[in-house]
Amino acid sequence: MNPGENHIDAPDYIEAPLAPKHTRMQEFGRMLKQNRLAALGFFIFVLFFLCAVTGLILTSGTKPLFNPAMVRLEEKLRPPLSKPNLQALRPDQVPVLNVYLMGTDDLGRDVFARMLQGAWVSLTVGFVAVGISVFIGIFMGGIAGYFGQHHIKAIHILFFLCLIGGIGLVLINAVFAGTALLLLCLSSIVFLLSARDKLPEKTLPAWKGILLGNAVSVDTLIMRIVDIMLCFPSFFLILTVVALLPASIYNIMIVIGLTSWMGTTRFVRAEFLSLREQDFVAAAKALGIGNFRIIFRHIMPNAVAPVLVSATIGIATAILTEAGLSFLGFGVPPPHATWGNILSDGKNFIFDAPWLTFIPGIAILIVVLSFNLFGEGLRDILNPKLRERH
Amino acid sequence: MLSFIGRSVIQKTITLFFVSIVSFLIIHLAPGKPSQVNPMNPKFTPEILERFQKEFHLDKPLYVQYLYFYRGLFTGQTVSWKDNQSVFSKIWGRFLNSLPLFIVGTLITWTLSFPVGIRSAIYRGGIYDRTTTFLSYLLISIPGFFFAYVLIIFVVNHFHVPVIGMETFGIANSSIPHMIMDRIWHLLLPSVLGATGGIAILSRYVRSQMLEVEGQDYIRTAKAKGLPPDQVHYKHAFRNALLPFVTMFGLILPGLIGGSVIIETIFSWPGMGRMAYDAILARDYPVILTVNFVSAVLVLAGTFVSDLLYLVVDPRIRL
Amino acid sequence: MTVKRFFIFAPILLIIVLLQSYFWEPTYEEQTKGNPARLTEYITGSIGDASLLNPVIASDSASGDINGLVFEGLIDYNKDLRFRGRVAKSWEISEQAFFYVNPSARIPEWGIVDAASLATRIKHAQKSPIPSDPNLTASLKRITNISVIPPRTYTVEKSIKKSGGGQPKTIRFQVTAPARIKLVLNQVDQHLFQNLAHLLGKNYFESFRGRNYLTCDARLTAKQWAAFAKELIPATEHNPILLFHLRPGVKFQDGYPVSAEDVKFTYEAIMNPKNLSPLLSVYEPVKTIEVIDPLTVKIVYKRLYSPALSTWGIGILPKHLLDSQALKKEAAALGKDQKTFSIRQSAFNRHPVGCGPFKFQTWKSDQYIILDRFHDYWEGPPNYHQYVYRIIPDPLTQEMEFYAGTLDSYNVEPHQVMRLEKDPRFQHFSGTSFGYTYIGYNERRKPFDDPRVRRALGMAIDINKIIKYVLYGQGERITGPFVKQTDYYDHKIKPLPYDPQGALKLLAAAGWKRNKSGRLEKNGRPLEFTLITNNGNELRKAVLAIAQDAWKQIGIDIHTDILEWSVFIQERINKLDFDAVVLGWGMDIQPDLFQIWHSSQTHPYQLNFVGFKNKRADELIIKIRQEYNHARQVELCHKLHALIADLQPYTFLYVSKWTAVLDKRIVIKTVDASGAVQYKKITPTKTGNYRYYFNQWVKLPQAPQFMDKG
Repeated sequence: MNPGENHIDAPDYIEAPLAPKHTRMQEFGRMLKQNRLAALGFFIFVLFFLCAVTGLILTSGTKPLFNPAMVRLEEKLRPPLSKPNLQALRPDQVPVLNVYLMGTDDLGRDVFARMLQGAWVSLTVGFVAVGISVFIGIFMGGIAGYFGQHHIKAIHILFFLCLIGGIGLVLINAVFAGTALLLLCLSSIVFLLSARDKLPEKTLPAWKGILLGNAVSVDTLIMRIVDIMLCFPSFFLILTVVALLPASIYNIMIVIGLTSWMGTTRFVRAEFLSLREQDFVAAAKALGIGNFRIIFRHIMPNAVAPVLVSATIGIATAILTEAGLSFLGFGVPPPHATWGNILSDGKNFIFDAPWLTFIPGIAILIVVLSFNLFGEGLRDILNPKLRERH
Repeated sequence: MLSFIGRSVIQKTITLFFVSIVSFLIIHLAPGKPSQVNPMNPKFTPEILERFQKEFHLDKPLYVQYLYFYRGLFTGQTVSWKDNQSVFSKIWGRFLNSLPLFIVGTLITWTLSFPVGIRSAIYRGGIYDRTTTFLSYLLISIPGFFFAYVLIIFVVNHFHVPVIGMETFGIANSSIPHMIMDRIWHLLLPSVLGATGGIAILSRYVRSQMLEVEGQDYIRTAKAKGLPPDQVHYKHAFRNALLPFVTMFGLILPGLIGGSVIIETIFSWPGMGRMAYDAILARDYPVILTVNFVSAVLVLAGTFVSDLLYLVVDPRIRL
Repeated sequence: MTVKRFFIFAPILLIIVLLQSYFWEPTYEEQTKGNPARLTEYITGSIGDASLLNPVIASDSASGDINGLVFEGLIDYNKDLRFRGRVAKSWEISEQAFFYVNPSARIPEWGIVDAASLATRIKHAQKSPIPSDPNLTASLKRITNISVIPPRTYTVEKSIKKSGGGQPKTIRFQVTAPARIKLVLNQVDQHLFQNLAHLLGKNYFESFRGRNYLTCDARLTAKQWAAFAKELIPATEHNPILLFHLRPGVKFQDGYPVSAEDVKFTYEAIMNPKNLSPLLSVYEPVKTIEVIDPLTVKIVYKRLYSPALSTWGIGILPKHLLDSQALKKEAAALGKDQKTFSIRQSAFNRHPVGCGPFKFQTWKSDQYIILDRFHDYWEGPPNYHQYVYRIIPDPLTQEMEFYAGTLDSYNVEPHQVMRLEKDPRFQHFSGTSFGYTYIGYNERRKPFDDPRVRRALGMAIDINKIIKYVLYGQGERITGPFVKQTDYYDHKIKPLPYDPQGALKLLAAAGWKRNKSGRLEKNGRPLEFTLITNNGNELRKAVLAIAQDAWKQIGIDIHTDILEWSVFIQERINKLDFDAVVLGWGMDIQPDLFQIWHSSQTHPYQLNFVGFKNKRADELIIKIRQEYNHARQVELCHKLHALIADLQPYTFLYVSKWTAVLDKRIVIKTVDASGAVQYKKITPTKTGNYRYYFNQWVKLPQAPQFMDKG
């Protein structure tokens, strides 16, 4: 599938439809040159990524080089670039570079070390949250777009309601009712299997007709789920769930992911709807290629562009959301430092130690900005037609 | 048309029903109980806890609680657990507080985005375009509360005027123009902060719509005809680019009840967002659920209105 | 082009309209200096809004602040933390005690005697002191009257809960009570029966079988029998009595005089299950409350309960506004169901009327509450005309408003104190607060069942450093669960030293040794546990980080977790699912430790969640609870304090100091009899209450110069 190879193999004289003259990477490089803001964004993006990885290496382990959790109460609120007071510290407390590059916080922890660790945590929060949302988005959007016209039978819905209800009831200790529902669920499977044998549908009695009748199309169902999700104000929903659930970095990632997949679903569905009608899909179908192969090998690569763009911007949003949650006290809990919680911890000391606010604040600003600019550039590169759609 | 409306209303009602179930489940299945039942207060004995549970129907099975709650909601009987106030009157009070913020924010967003977006579309690729692009991204990239603090400290330190709250405290007996202006001043910062994201997104959207229209043949024709550029841009191009924005009027409806928790907290603005936030912290289920329900109604009504507007505005669409 | 012009002018116009408002805006200087009315109002900031302005049903601190000003109780604490009368002018504490005549017990020297002769013989013993037994003599001396209650027969209905839920069942008892002796005492004496036993024989009271005088129409287990016998026909009974004499001429803010009926009504409002008062359990020991005349009320208690007096600090509710008739009227006016309408629903909670120094004026939710001074306040109206409670949810914004002069006081955080202390515009006070922060260990889990381990963990943390750096010196060490300003607290007990080496030695004695990599382990198992706390409290978060760091230094593997309050309480604390926890207790001045330290309170959902169990401590706790004599109570408290400090169920960290920062222009104004005005500097009382003289505060246009302090 490498278009570059094609290019070499194909005889030069053939003027027939060809793969693009340039590989995507080349295209990418060219566009970066043209769009300097995007290039800057990409550069910072890479830099941030490197920082995060080095940060992870330098700050983890039992004896990290930069210890973000090392408390030095005597050295609290030292401004950036100040030298540690060697008399007051034990040898193992002296910072590696013998200087507090970004000062210390209210417990005398090295802000530089915390920023390094925070870079990785913030990055993970962004990537995992967006990863979840993209995964759900592609899955739901793909199904809605590709299998959209299929209908779900009433019995299927009943089946799922019973299944979910049954499991839910068992989980909340209502064992009897739960088991009853699960049994009902089992019986519906039996019913389905038995109904399948008797093909002539006209002879079915009325109640079976209703059960086996088409209730709702897959597309409608999924889009209604999207509508339902969109009815919740997103930050409010995240806040509710995060406030009610025990705070942990995983919960935050999952919650942000679970509440932001609707946009991706809509993009992917739209792409699939239009791509499904294209000739190459028809050709693939004619060749007898299976549905899943068509979806993953033929349609998906063509539909991924808007997803990638919204994912990049989504990471930026996730980092901002985490910072907002931190402000309200529901961010990633310690011992993980994130830029968001360094910022919100620091805001109390804005008059005494402004660097505690400004360093993470500006760092977030720069990184989020770079993600946004890069995402925007990517949109231009990957699909000129999609330009400027938000 | 009528059938469209009918279908739409039925569909939205079903959606609303599911929203009500989902939100109810999220809130009731999450760990933590209402803080009226604060068990760390030595004065609360288990008997009192039990009595509270009973009073709030928390001892009943979930579906019964669901019925109780929505019956209360539709008969307007729902009261907040925290202070026994009617939930609707609470929401209405907060809504009136949030309304000016919303109106001024929307005004700023819409009046600023259009000129900025159109101009950068016309001078595409120029310095103006690139600067506004960069600026708009800058605006949506700043952590809101960080920006808010920087602005507040700047204004307070340099101008020595209050910016906190809905009005300056203790000027209740000054003249009416003073009071109005005071209110406007207090609106300025929070609404600008609330509008930053909107301006950035909307101006980019205006720009892209304009670009799309400007690439059309009829624009080229108009230009070729020798019409003055202003007329081409503002009459021919803009009118056609305006179409999608008409529908957006419907979509700003849910913003009415949204309100930003963070901005309202920082500015001590007694708005919707903060009430909802406090309700979450206090596990004041009736308030959380009602806010949620009302906002869902607004979202659905918003999409409905925007669909209708589209129908009215765009003659190509016939349902 | 109109469109273009519109696009240019509309935003410009909007921006101009918005920005020009700046010129109308009074600067902070104009607001604070150019406004003479500002001097007569006291503005304070709060993070949260009040919820219910009714002392009987409110349980949050913001409501408490306002209720304390609008309402007034019978008594409160004076500057030495002893009681002083407010609505009550004076009060008397006495006791009536009862015991059933035990027909089967032989009394030494007297044999088996009937009730009447028993009474005369006790009277006789009173007159002829027994020198060999001074305790008995003292007890007998307190008795002022002895009478006999003849035997009687009656039936009572009781309900029992079935095991496994379901409707409680009603059962009927037939009681044939024997004769009973009633003793009236001029003061409460918890050892009365213990001492009387010297006279009446060791087993006189114990051998009384209440079970023999009961018959029941249902089958009961032996345990239930014992419980009902104890309840229905107890061998001995103490009934402490509080008699309050109300101050004449005290008025509610709507002009009605305060009477004993209002006191009774307040009690009834708390006990009414419809009102869901959180104070219910506090007043549960009250047996009867009786209005003797409009200015006298008598409260009889079911049992010895020494914190009883302090509960009458509760704000007195006006009966005429809240009794069932008034509520019915209100419900009818609102069209609500009269049967379910309770004080909780009443509009009173947003427009309270009390008899305190300030009168409610307005409340704008989440903005402010304004109180006016009450001109007919019995002690004379406060100097401030207005008290304003502003709600500003963000601490940083509060600080900025304070600097700008639109707040007179706010909750100053430790790190701000340093800066504010240097500012010449402000005066500041600090004092120790009534709450302490601690690390509690779940004693049900190993290794916390070993006091040596708990002590070692405490010794490994440099608490002085926490106080110095995290609290900026705004805190003090504490060694036990009593308020430091009271004499219940024993200052002789030394706090734990910071001694990591000593801690290691203690741990080694308990079997925990350091292995090659420096980790502590016992039988190959490393010492590791999780320390948790709730979110939203910066200081606890800091303590968490410091403890983690300190314990790591001595080789303990420690994890930390911060949970949202409600989840923290309900999932971890209530279910006893934690290893160690950083938390704080707010202490009552009364030294009643029953709920937090008694071994009966160690079950899930109870407050002794660390599982502290000690027989001697239990005994002391009960004794303190029953002791009405201050000196004896102090003695018992010191014993308990020493015991707790020795066992270290908690690592007691610190009591934080509050600091209040006020404008220097705020002073105390007193007018003496001749009408001469005198200004005094505000000084905190010995116990650290700087607002004790709040009603006499006044803000002057210029800071006065005081001779004593330049």
